[in-house]
Amino acid sequence: MRDDDLDRILSSQQEIIPSSGFVDAVMDAVRRESEAPPMPFPWNRALPGLFAACFTLVSVLVAAITPFTRGTPTRVLPTGLLSALDLILQAWQTIGGNWIALALIVSLASVKLSMRFVSGQVGW
Amino acid sequence: MSAAEDQAAVEKVLSGDHSAFEGIVRRWQGPLVNLAYRFCRDPSRAEEMAQEAFLPAYRSLSQWRREAAFSTWLFALATNLYRSELRRIPVRTVPLDDVMEPMEQPAIDVGLQAGDRDRAVRRLVFALPRKYREALILFYFHGMDVASTARSLALPVGTVKARLSRGREMLRSKLSQQLMPLQLRKEAR
Repeated sequence: MRDDDLDRILSSQQEIIPSSGFVDAVMDAVRRESEAPPMPFPWNRALPGLFAACFTLVSVLVAAITPFTRGTPTRVLPTGLLSALDLILQAWQTIGGNWIALALIVSLASVKLSMRFVSGQVGW
Repeated sequence: MSAAEDQAAVEKVLSGDHSAFEGIVRRWQGPLVNLAYRFCRDPSRAEEMAQEAFLPAYRSLSQWRREAAFSTWLFALATNLYRSELRRIPVRTVPLDDVMEPMEQPAIDVGLQAGDRDRAVRRLVFALPRKYREALILFYFHGMDVASTARSLALPVGTVKARLSRGREMLRSKLSQQLMPLQLRKEAR
């Protein structure tokens, strides 16, 4: 069978006509939707999660800052840009910065993906 | 209703005149129901699916950016919903390898009628793997426009072309397997 034959067969599909009440049914649903009050944000459910996230963030920041405020007897305080960068890198490794960055990227990707699914993947 | 009228209706809805959405529903009810019908082959389910597509369209009208035609946006949204719906409750299909036997024995000496072949092709489309089936359905729904098909599926044009090509190849192969016994029987007489 040639492509032309396939095109002809598959193009000549049976068409159906929506029932007479179709528009009314859709518009009833639209009216219900427009009259319904906007759904409130579920603060009661979200608050525990928000508190937990804030607590974790503060804990991480405290854990990251504490070693520098205490100081270490063997370490001479760095001076200059290179030393500062070195210090930042050490701090990054101390707090497992790579894992934190990876976790943030994965979280961001999953949120974006969920939003795409919810919004019907139409953004143009 | 033209594209400009679509846009005007959308602006009205967005400014608070919800009844203006009725014009959009009237204009697009046929295409959306028929698109759903091509996916499910069940007229009553097609209407339900189209109704369910209009509501999210109403909710997310503000997300339509004017660079693309309203129809492009609406079809993409509906296609996405239909695909989700059919993943949730699939259409009963026969795996392609199981579609071997001719669906109707032709009457003696009548031979292979064009109608038999057309029905066989349409039936085989529904036995294709989902990604090829969706590409084919949308390609023919959009009047064989690959770009529109790609936009509806949110896929690159090249991917859609590859799926169409592979889908057609599978159709041709299965169709020849399916129709061969009938032709041999006819020739043997």
